[in-house]
Amino acid sequence: MDRREFMARWKGPVETAARRLLVYRQADYWLGEFAPARSLEELRAEVVRVDNEARDVKTFALRPNAHWRGFSAGQHVSVEVEIGGVRTQRVFSLSSAPSDPLLAITVKRMPGGRVSPWLHEQARPGHIVGLSPATGRFVLPSPLPPKLLLLSGGSGITPLMSILRDLDARDAVSDVVLVHHARAGDGVIFRDDLEAIAARRTGLRLAFCLSDGDGHGRFDGARLAELVPDFAERATFLCGPHGLMERAGQMWTRAGALSGLRRESFGLPASARPPGADASDRYERRIHLGRSGRSHLVDDKANLLDELERFGERLASGCRMGICQTCTCRKRRGVVRDLTTGKTSSDRDEEIQLCISAPQSDVELDL
Amino acid sequence: MHLSTAVRRGARPLKVFRRRQAASPGPAPRELSAREAEALGDELDELRRQITEDLGARDVDHIRRVIGWSRRSEAAGRFLLHVGLDPLSFAAGSGALGLSKILDNMEIGHNVLHGQYDWTGDPELDSRRLDWDITCPPEDWRYWHNYEHHTFTNILGKDRDVGYVFLRACPEQPWHPAHVLQPVAALGLALFFQWGIGAHGLRLEEVLKGNEPLSALRERARPFVRKAGWQVLKDYGFYPAIALWNAPRVAAGNFVANTARNLWAYAIIFCGHFPEGVRVYHEDEVRGETRGQWYARQIAGSANIEGGRVLHVLSGHLSHQIEHHLFPDIPASRYPEIAPRVREICARYGQPYCTSSLGRQFGSVVARLLRLSLPGPRRSSKQPASAVSSPRSATA
Repeated sequence: MDRREFMARWKGPVETAARRLLVYRQADYWLGEFAPARSLEELRAEVVRVDNEARDVKTFALRPNAHWRGFSAGQHVSVEVEIGGVRTQRVFSLSSAPSDPLLAITVKRMPGGRVSPWLHEQARPGHIVGLSPATGRFVLPSPLPPKLLLLSGGSGITPLMSILRDLDARDAVSDVVLVHHARAGDGVIFRDDLEAIAARRTGLRLAFCLSDGDGHGRFDGARLAELVPDFAERATFLCGPHGLMERAGQMWTRAGALSGLRRESFGLPASARPPGADASDRYERRIHLGRSGRSHLVDDKANLLDELERFGERLASGCRMGICQTCTCRKRRGVVRDLTTGKTSSDRDEEIQLCISAPQSDVELDL
Repeated sequence: MHLSTAVRRGARPLKVFRRRQAASPGPAPRELSAREAEALGDELDELRRQITEDLGARDVDHIRRVIGWSRRSEAAGRFLLHVGLDPLSFAAGSGALGLSKILDNMEIGHNVLHGQYDWTGDPELDSRRLDWDITCPPEDWRYWHNYEHHTFTNILGKDRDVGYVFLRACPEQPWHPAHVLQPVAALGLALFFQWGIGAHGLRLEEVLKGNEPLSALRERARPFVRKAGWQVLKDYGFYPAIALWNAPRVAAGNFVANTARNLWAYAIIFCGHFPEGVRVYHEDEVRGETRGQWYARQIAGSANIEGGRVLHVLSGHLSHQIEHHLFPDIPASRYPEIAPRVREICARYGQPYCTSSLGRQFGSVVARLLRLSLPGPRRSSKQPASAVSSPRSATA
C-alpha cells in the first residue's frame, strides 16, 4: 500500500476518532492561535494587499489556505467576514486570472450594504476572511470561440477582467472586443490594466461608453451595433446592472443570437411583496426544501413550522414559541420575518427559527 | 442600545436587602390577573428585544475567550498529568483538567447548546454541531433539557428535572419507602453526575415500571452508549495509553477531574430549582397558559446564586437561573447586566425572586433532600414554608 492509498483509507476514520476524542478541537484551537489563516477544515484566505481601483472600488488580493481548489476565469466566490460578531457572506466575482499567484476580488462599496463597506473600511493586510469554493458557469468554453465580445457595466466588469486576464496569460487574445459602460464621474475600473493589455495584444479592442448624467453609461443598442457590427456572431459575455442586462438581452433576442450570449447577473434583490399589494392581503409563498426537493405553497402570515407541518413535513420542533431552538434551520435564500420582533432576515444562509418565522418571499430551506 | 455602565457591571443590590431575602422568601407570590401577566410578558419581551438588538462582537469575544481558557487549561492539565511524577503536579494537573471540563460543560456547552450563539453563524458556536466533554450526547440534551425542561419547567409529571424522577425534591412528590435511601442516592448522583445526566434521556423509569419494552430502551440508548463509549475511551483508554508508564496516574487524574466537575455541576444545578422558596406546579394549573404566565412560572420556579464574576462564569451563569429561564437563548454572559432589571420587574409585579449565596442555597437543598427522605411535608421551624400554593399539595 503506498502512501496515498494509506491516506485515503485512514484519513476518514482517524479524523472521526480525533473528533470523538475531542483531540481535533484542541488541534484546531492551537492552529487558530498560531496560524489563523490555516484551518483543519475551513477554507480561508489572508488579505495580502488592498488597492484603490476607481472611486469606491477596491481590489483585495487574497492568499487562500490549503483547502482552495482553484477556479475558472469568470467564476465567483462567497466571501465571509465577521461583522459585529456575525459571520456575513457576500458573493463576489474573482477578477484575477487562475494562473495568478494570488486571488483578487474587486469590490464596489455599496451604500447601506454590510460586507462591502466593511471590506472598504476594515480589511487590512493580515486580516483573515472565509471563502467558499469558486462556483459559476460564466466561464470560457473549450475550445475557445474564435471571436469574443465582453460587454459590461459598472462593477460588472470584474468577471470579464478575470476572463481577459486568463486569455492574456494563455496567449489567446486573438479577437476580443471589450465594451464597458460607466458613469464618467466614477471612472473606469481596471482602466490602466486594460490599456496595458491592449497595448501588448493587438487582438484586443477596447471601447468605453461613459455617460455624464444618470444611468450607468446607458446602454445604447445602435451605438453598440456601430462599435461591434458583428456582435451577433461573437461569443458574448455580459455582466452589469439589471437595466443594461435587460436591454442587451432584448437586442440579442431581436438579432436571433441569444444562444451566443452568456449572462451573469448580480445584486438582484430578493423580491418582497408584489408592488401595490395591500398589507392585509394574504399571499402564498413557495417554500422549497433544498435537501428533500419538495416545495409547498404556504401562507405568508403564518409561521413556517405550522405551515410546513400542514403539508405533512415532519420537522424537529419543541416549544413552538421561539425559545428552545429545536426547529432552527438554515435558510438558503429568501426573506422571512420574525413574528416576535418584526425583523426581517434577507441574507443568504442565515439561521432561522421556523416556529416564529413567516415567509416574505419565496424561500429555500436546508431541510 | 447601550445599557448604562452600572447595569452592565451588574449592579448588586444592597447587602441588607439580600440578607432579608435569604432569610425569608417574602410574601407568597401574588397570583397575577390575566392582564397583569400580559403586561409582565410585554415588559420581559421588551427587555429581551433590547438585549437581542445589542448582541455583537462583545458576546462572541467573551465565549471565545472562555473557549480559549478551557482549551489551554485542558492542555496544561494533561501536560502536567502526563509528564509529572510528583503529587503536586498530579493535583495541579487534575485541577486544571477539571476546570477545563467545568468551563466546557457549563459556560460553553450548556449555553451554546441552547442556541445562544447560533446568530453568529460560526460553526464552532453552532448548537447543532457542538460536542462536549461529558457522557451526555448533545442531541439528547437538546431535547430533554432545552425543550422538555425549559418548556415545562417545574410542572410535576412533565418536567423530569424535578428530583430527576427518582429523588423527592419537593413535598408535592408522593413519598415512597425507597426515598429513605435518598441521601445515599443523592451523594452517589453527585459523585457520578455526568452519568446521571447522560442517562437522564433514557427514561429508565418507563422500562422499570413496565410501560415500555426493553427494546425501546435499547433503541433510545444508542446515542448515549456511543457518546459515553468515546468519553470512557478518551479518559481511561486513549490518554492513559499515550502516557505509557504514566498510564495509571493519567487515568486517576482524569477520574479526579471528572469527579470534581461532577460535584461542581451537581451543586450548581441542584441550586437552580430545588432550594426553599421555589414553586412547583400541577399540570392543571398551567393549562392554557399565556406567554406572560409562562414567564411568571419561570420566575417562581427558579433560584439564583449570588456571587462574583468568577462564580458566574464557572456556573455557566446558572447562578442567574431566573434570567436563564426567562431568556434561555440569550448569551448567558448578559444575565448579570439584566438581573437588576428583572428583579425590579419582579418586585413591581409582586413576584418572588429567590436568591442567596451558594452556601445558603445548597444548604437549603441538602436540608430539603434529607427532610423529604421521610414521609410527609414536615417542615422544621427554622425553614420557611415552601412557596407552593397548589390545591392538591395536601394529598401529596
